[in-house]
Amino acid sequence: MLEFRTEGFNGYGVKYSPFFDSRVAVAAAANFGLVGNGRLYVLGLTPNGIVAEKWFDTQDSLYDVSWSESHENQLVVASGDGSIKLFDVAFNDFPVQSWQEHRREVFSVHWNLVAKDTFCSSSWDGTVKIWSPTRPASVLTLPTQTCTYSSAWSPHSPSILSAVGSDSYLRLFDLRLPPSTSNHLALNLPVHSAPHPPSEALTHDWNKYRETVVAVAGVDRLIRTFDIRAMRQGPLAVLAGHEYAVRKVAWSPHLPDLLLSASYDMTCRVWTDGSAPGNGKVPAPIAKELGRMPRHTEFVTGVDWCLFGAEGWCASCGWDERLLVWDVRAVIGR
Amino acid sequence: MSAQARLEQVSGHLRGKKTSRDAILEKHPDDIVVACAVRTPFTRGGRGLLKDTPAQDLLAHILQALISRSGVDPSLVEDIAVGSVLAPGGGATEFRAAALVAGFPATTALRSVNRQCSSGLQAIVDVANQIKAGMIEVGIGAGVESMSSQYGPAAVSEFSPLLDSHPVAKTCKVPMGVLSEQMAQDLHITRTAQDTFAASSYQKALDAQRASHFADEIVPLTVKWEDPKSGEMKEVVVEKDDGVREGITAESLGKIRPAFAEEGSIHAGNASQISDGASAVLLTKRSTAHRLSLPILGTYISSTIVGLPPLLMGLGPLHAIPKLLSKTSLQIADIDVFEINEAFASQCLHCAQELGIPAEKVNPAGGAIAWGHPLGATGARQVGTLLGGLKRKKGRVGVTSMCIGTGMGMAALWVAEY
Repeated sequence: MLEFRTEGFNGYGVKYSPFFDSRVAVAAAANFGLVGNGRLYVLGLTPNGIVAEKWFDTQDSLYDVSWSESHENQLVVASGDGSIKLFDVAFNDFPVQSWQEHRREVFSVHWNLVAKDTFCSSSWDGTVKIWSPTRPASVLTLPTQTCTYSSAWSPHSPSILSAVGSDSYLRLFDLRLPPSTSNHLALNLPVHSAPHPPSEALTHDWNKYRETVVAVAGVDRLIRTFDIRAMRQGPLAVLAGHEYAVRKVAWSPHLPDLLLSASYDMTCRVWTDGSAPGNGKVPAPIAKELGRMPRHTEFVTGVDWCLFGAEGWCASCGWDERLLVWDVRAVIGR
Repeated sequence: MSAQARLEQVSGHLRGKKTSRDAILEKHPDDIVVACAVRTPFTRGGRGLLKDTPAQDLLAHILQALISRSGVDPSLVEDIAVGSVLAPGGGATEFRAAALVAGFPATTALRSVNRQCSSGLQAIVDVANQIKAGMIEVGIGAGVESMSSQYGPAAVSEFSPLLDSHPVAKTCKVPMGVLSEQMAQDLHITRTAQDTFAASSYQKALDAQRASHFADEIVPLTVKWEDPKSGEMKEVVVEKDDGVREGITAESLGKIRPAFAEEGSIHAGNASQISDGASAVLLTKRSTAHRLSLPILGTYISSTIVGLPPLLMGLGPLHAIPKLLSKTSLQIADIDVFEINEAFASQCLHCAQELGIPAEKVNPAGGAIAWGHPLGATGARQVGTLLGGLKRKKGRVGVTSMCIGTGMGMAALWVAEY
C-alpha cells in the first residue's frame, strides 16, 4: 500500500488519469469542506513513492475532479462556491478556464467518455449542466429540482447521462430527445422500493461492460444495481454491509461484476453483484461483499480504479488527509 | 454558502435512517400536490344569504373561482369529482352542466361522489389516486351542498322489510342526533364538556375570522336572496361565514334546551350547523405543477377509511386516524394540526381525548359547530383550512378526518408547503 498525505486538506474526490498509469488527481478541501480553501493535487506514482507533481489552490472547497478525455494535461474541478475550473498541468497557479453558473456547491463533474468534447456537472442548486471546455457558458442546463450529488455520462453513448440526489430518484437524460418541456428527461424513477423509505442517493456509476446497468448508493447504506430498462421491477442486486452512508461507488474497468465502494464508515469495500456466469465446475456467484480495506481513519469520500496494468489497483481518499493506493486483490477474501 | 448548511448536509448523511416524518417532508416529482384550495362562504341553512342559491350554482361559482385563483388552463383538467350528499341522483347531471358553465371545456369529465359527510374528502382522494395511478395528470376534488333546499326526509328512501329485518342494518337509519345522544350518555361525555368545547370552537372561529385568516380560501360571490321580511328578491354579495357569532360562551350554551332527549346533552349550539356552501381543490403531480408553473400549497400523502357499527358512527375518527398513522409509521406527536369535523361536540371531543391529541392541535380555527357543515363540502373545506392553519402555525404535517353517517370514518394525511 502506498500513501500520500494531503496535509491540511481533507480528500473529497480521486481520479486516475486516463492517459498515464502513474498519475492521480485528488480534489480536497480545508476544514472538512465546511469552510475555507480547496486544493487540487496532481500526484505522480514513482519508484520513490507518491510525489506531488503539482497542486493548485482555490478560494473554496473542491468536491470532485474529472480528467479531460481529450487532453492529457487538463482536468476540471467542482467547487463549493458554485464554480467549475479547468486546470492545465503545464501551467502554474491559475485555471485556464473558470465557469460560474451554479448557484450552490458543485458536487460532481464527469467528462464525457465517448464524445470526449463535453463534460457535465451537478450541484446542490438542483441542476445538472453540460459544458464544453471551448465555450464560455454552459451548453445546456437540465433541472432536477433536488440537491444533486452525482452526475455521470454513460460510457456507451455520447448523449446519455444520469444523475442522482436527495430525492432518492435516478434521472436519465437523453440529449437526442427533442428539447421539449421534459428537458431531455428520459427516465425518472425511484431508487428506493418498499420496504425501504426514500433516502438520499449520494453516488452512482455506470457499468463499463453491461450498458444498461447502473449502481446507486447513498444514505440508507445500501448499494443497489439496476437495469435501467426495467427499473420499475426493482434492483438487480442489493448490497448491504456498510455501516454508514455510502459516498462513492465505482465499477471495475476490468470485470463486469466487480464494484468498489467508499463510505462514511471509514472502509472501502469490494463487491460482486452476482452477475458473473457460472460454469460446470464453479457455480454462479451470489451478490456479496468480497473484502474490505479498513486502513482509512476517517470518512472515505472517494475511490477510483486504475485503468492500466495489473487489474485491481485503485486509489482512495478521505477526511483523514490521506490518499491510499492499494491492490483490490490483496483485500479480497480478507 | 454557509458552513452551517454544509455541516447539516453531511450530518444528514450520517443520521442515516430518517424518521417517518422526515420521509414524508421530502419532495418528490411524483408527489400529489394541492395547487389551489377555495370555498364559498358557508351560510346558515334556510336563513343565510345562500339559502336561495341552488347547489349547482354554488358549484359553478367555486369551479370558476378555482380556475381564476390557480391560473390553471381549464382544458388541462381531465376529471372532476364532486362530493354531494343530498342532491337527487347524486347531482350528476347538474354538476356536469355546472362545470361547463364554470368555463371547463366539454373534454373535462365529471362525476359525483357520495360518501355522506366525507364526500368532499373522498372526491379529493379519488382524484389523487387517479393521478397516482397515471389515469389523469390534473384533476379537481370538490364538494357542494345546499342544505336549505335539499335537506329533509326526502334525502333517504324508505327501508325495505329486508333491511328492517336485520338488527344491525336497520340501525343505519337512526338519526344522527339520536344515536349521538345515546353515545354521549354511554361514554359519559358531559354536557358541560360539550358546551365548553363548542364555545371554544366559536371563539377560535371568531378570532380567525377577525384576523382574516380565510382570505386565501374564501371566494365571495354575488347571489339573489329573498329578504324574509319584505319577500323582495335582492342581489347580495356574500363574503363571510355567517355561522360564526360573537358572545357565545359555555354558560350561554348551557341554557339551550336539549334537542333529542329530555335529559339529553346535545342541542343546536354544540352540534354542527346546517349550512350551504361549496369547496374545491386542484390536484396534480409535483412535476406537472412545476411544468405548468402552478402554485403548490401542500402534498397529499395518504388516506384511510374504516367501518364501525352504525350506532357508533361518531367514533369514526377514533378508528380512522390510528389506522392512517400506523400505515404511514407516524405518531400523534408527529402531526402538527388535526382538522376533525365537529359533527357533534360530543364525538369530536371524545375522539380527540381518546387519541391523546393536545387540545391546541385540534381545529385551531374552529370547526363545523361555528362555521357549519354543508355535508358534501366539508371534506374539501378542511383541506384549505388545514393547509392555511399549518402555515400560520409554522407546522408541516396535518390530518383531516371526519365521522360518517351509517358508521364509517375517514382520515387523510397532508403536508403543507409555504
